[in-house]
Amino acid sequence: MIIEISHFLTIVATGLFFLVGCFAFIRSGDIFISKLISRTYSHGFLFLFSSFLIYVWLAVTDNFSVAYIANHSNTALPTFYKISSIWSAHEGSMFLWIIFLAAWGYLFNTKVDNKEVLKSKSIGIISFILVGFLSFLLLTSNPFETILPFAPSNGADINPVLQDPALAIHPPTLYLGYVGFVIPFACAIAFLIQGNSDIKWEELARKWSVVAWIFLTIGITLGSWWAYYELGWGGYWFWDPVENVALMPWLAATAFLHSLSVSIKSSNLRIWTILLSISVFSLSLFGTFIVRSGIIDSVHSFANDPERGLYLLGFIGTIIIFSMFLFVLRFPIIKSVGNIKSFSKESFISINNIFFGSLVFSVMLGVTYPLIYEYLYDQKISVGAPFYNAIFIPIVVIACLFLFFSIDSKWQRTIKLPFFGGATILSSLLATAATFLSTYLIVIKSVSIIVSLFAGFLLIFRYLIEISISLLKKKYLNPFSAVAHFSLGLLIISIAFNSILSTERAINIKINESEIYKDLNIYFQDIRVVNNSNHDAIKASFIIEDMNSNSYVLSPEKRKYFTRGQITTETAIHVTLLRDIYLTIGDQLDDGSWIVNIQINYLIRWIWISAILMSFAGLMLIFSKKRS
Amino acid sequence: MKYILSISVLLSCFAFSAMIYEFDNEADEIRFNDLIKEIRCPKCTSGSLSSSNAPVSEDLKKRIAEMINQGKSNAEIKEYVAKTFGKESLYDPQFQQDTFLLWFGPVIFIFVAFLLFFLRRKT
Amino acid sequence: MNLMLRFLVLAFPIAFIGMFYVLLSTEDTYPGADYKVFEIPEFSLPALDNSSYIDNSSLEGDFIINVWASWCITCRVEHPYLSKLSREGIKIIGLNYKDERNDAANWINKFGDPYDLIIHDIKGSLALDMGVTGAPETFLVKNGIVVAHYQGEVNQLIWNKVFQPIIDSKKINLK
Repeated sequence: MIIEISHFLTIVATGLFFLVGCFAFIRSGDIFISKLISRTYSHGFLFLFSSFLIYVWLAVTDNFSVAYIANHSNTALPTFYKISSIWSAHEGSMFLWIIFLAAWGYLFNTKVDNKEVLKSKSIGIISFILVGFLSFLLLTSNPFETILPFAPSNGADINPVLQDPALAIHPPTLYLGYVGFVIPFACAIAFLIQGNSDIKWEELARKWSVVAWIFLTIGITLGSWWAYYELGWGGYWFWDPVENVALMPWLAATAFLHSLSVSIKSSNLRIWTILLSISVFSLSLFGTFIVRSGIIDSVHSFANDPERGLYLLGFIGTIIIFSMFLFVLRFPIIKSVGNIKSFSKESFISINNIFFGSLVFSVMLGVTYPLIYEYLYDQKISVGAPFYNAIFIPIVVIACLFLFFSIDSKWQRTIKLPFFGGATILSSLLATAATFLSTYLIVIKSVSIIVSLFAGFLLIFRYLIEISISLLKKKYLNPFSAVAHFSLGLLIISIAFNSILSTERAINIKINESEIYKDLNIYFQDIRVVNNSNHDAIKASFIIEDMNSNSYVLSPEKRKYFTRGQITTETAIHVTLLRDIYLTIGDQLDDGSWIVNIQINYLIRWIWISAILMSFAGLMLIFSKKRS
Repeated sequence: MKYILSISVLLSCFAFSAMIYEFDNEADEIRFNDLIKEIRCPKCTSGSLSSSNAPVSEDLKKRIAEMINQGKSNAEIKEYVAKTFGKESLYDPQFQQDTFLLWFGPVIFIFVAFLLFFLRRKT
Repeated sequence: MNLMLRFLVLAFPIAFIGMFYVLLSTEDTYPGADYKVFEIPEFSLPALDNSSYIDNSSLEGDFIINVWASWCITCRVEHPYLSKLSREGIKIIGLNYKDERNDAANWINKFGDPYDLIIHDIKGSLALDMGVTGAPETFLVKNGIVVAHYQGEVNQLIWNKVFQPIIDSKKINLK
């Protein structure tokens, strides 16, 4: 049976990785051992990857003797979704997670010279982590289990909600980000084990970290975008526990990238950087644990039993506690160069670490509080948007102000910050004007919105000015920092405007009737039944006309999928840069009219554009010429 | 067409019978939309009333709309929801004695962090 | 100072992991059961047979309230158990939830009436005020005050696990 070949390959790979781990810590500095380790790791990865390719092949060719494939795939699915069904549930997605982890290790193994002092130990650490997760996979969450001797002729259907391109790509992108941080983690741990403070692990880890960060940013953005157009109620972020456990590594990773710059440039904040490196990967692992342990109620989490959760907790707990133990042990030998000067760039980044740290702490608090509360008081409590907004808005705004003033600061020296410098004054005035104008025209009463707008505008105008000065006067400006922080400002005002301007209403409307909402005329043209291969649908047609005589057709649907009888709503969205017109249909009332939900979402595209722009800044960094 | 459209927009009273949840003015409608985002759907694993069309969610939304039209405050409405479906139905963990650590946790964290930051600078 | 700080730094993740271990290992309350205590909300609704109006004054003493409807399939499954309870003399008040009067009456005629009284809550307003999210659901009431609420089908197992402990501890007399 072909599946057994795949199964066998994975077991062999596990054995090889175990060997790599053992060899890595035997004799250091021996080039022969380094080459041996490197080669063995590559072989291990090739076996593992072959195993995965065979598995994909089995899914694509509808081999339903494999239990997991039978449970999650179906002959009627397009090939693309047969492949993506592999990561639609726990066992398969865990397999994918491991493949990506091993792949990152393989790239690192290939691209880093064997003479690099930390290489073998880093590979060794990655290998041990792989062995741990592979054991978890093979022993408790085996994707290779078979249904024999009578394999079903067809599989169960995949949840229709998952048959969507964005949702197919979202987990892989996210996982690539999550597991990518194993590289800086492994480098940091290797550094600690090696014990030589002069080794610049930070330089070794840098580009890998940025790439992982880019993937994580894009992964989260994709998830947000998907949720918006698929789930039908027009939100883009819900502070759902599972979203939060993706946000935490991202926050820590962003702080980590900043701290990394300081460590590389000025050999300072090295302790913070190591701690952050451990934290990012730990938070990624923690996220994996939370989603698969069944401890948190969420539509997003994989259905699981607490026993698996305990196993995972044990393994992840061991990694985290071991790393922290090593960190605490080697604490004294991590030497930074001198002290950080006041008001230097380093000091600002140092303070930035505190802000990001507090955000991570707050999210963790929000996620775990309901669990602790229920344990202590035997009562349930929910922590949602009101809490997170109340914490995030003040901290982010204050951090932006610090960022604004840090633009003039210099590396490794104290300068008197030009509080009345030209760029500062000009951007402050422009920001004040823009905020005042917005507040007046839109009639904003919310203080948090006004303050957020001001902070965002401040960054936007300041960086626009700095970029202009840099182009005109050929003055140096760090382009990645400029683009990334500009995007941050854009993100903040997009979120603020979206929050204050967007409106929605549920109306009932009969065929051939018109209703007016805000500046739109909505004409209900018709509604009819549509038959498709795996679902039936009720498809409505609306002609929307706005004040400028632009008109367009929107066709929201309600679908009923055959295999599970599941009913989904398909949204119809008219996208422009300024706003989305968002329509869904609800139920039919007794008088024959239909309930229609209409939303006007302002500047929502800008939220995702800012996030992509931020990733782009990271991309610029990767492809820039090497800076010393 | 444009002329007719603008006239009808001007003339249309806010409360017209096509609204499922009827309100007397726009502020109430906005209050309603904001409130239902903060209240959990009683029957769903997770998600707000705004995102759910389960029958009990629809009933609760109608009740909340009624209460808004009766002039009840957000606090009174949240109290009703908490009393009927449990405190966990509110995404806003009310600021009480047992949520003190939750709300003040971040503040304490920042305070302690900055304290340590400045103390270390002195040495 | 340094040693102290290092110890604290290490203690934090250990405590954190330990906390999750504890959280994972503890048992939840029986899923679907809620022991929140509250007064039956004020209401005035017709009886199913339309003979009179029922309000809070008709509901005194100790009894069970069972939320049911003719469109609810699980209620059909639960029905024999309710009939058994009724035969034992236990007082059961029916709360007919979002049901047309005729449909409900036909259902009762067909399958039998285990209820002492049936409240016709066509809009589900009383049900909503009591925190009902669907059918079937069952409330245990002592002196007009709800002391237990179960969402789902009641059978001997559920009765023993969810209601009997409360009946014993609060000395409820349902007969």
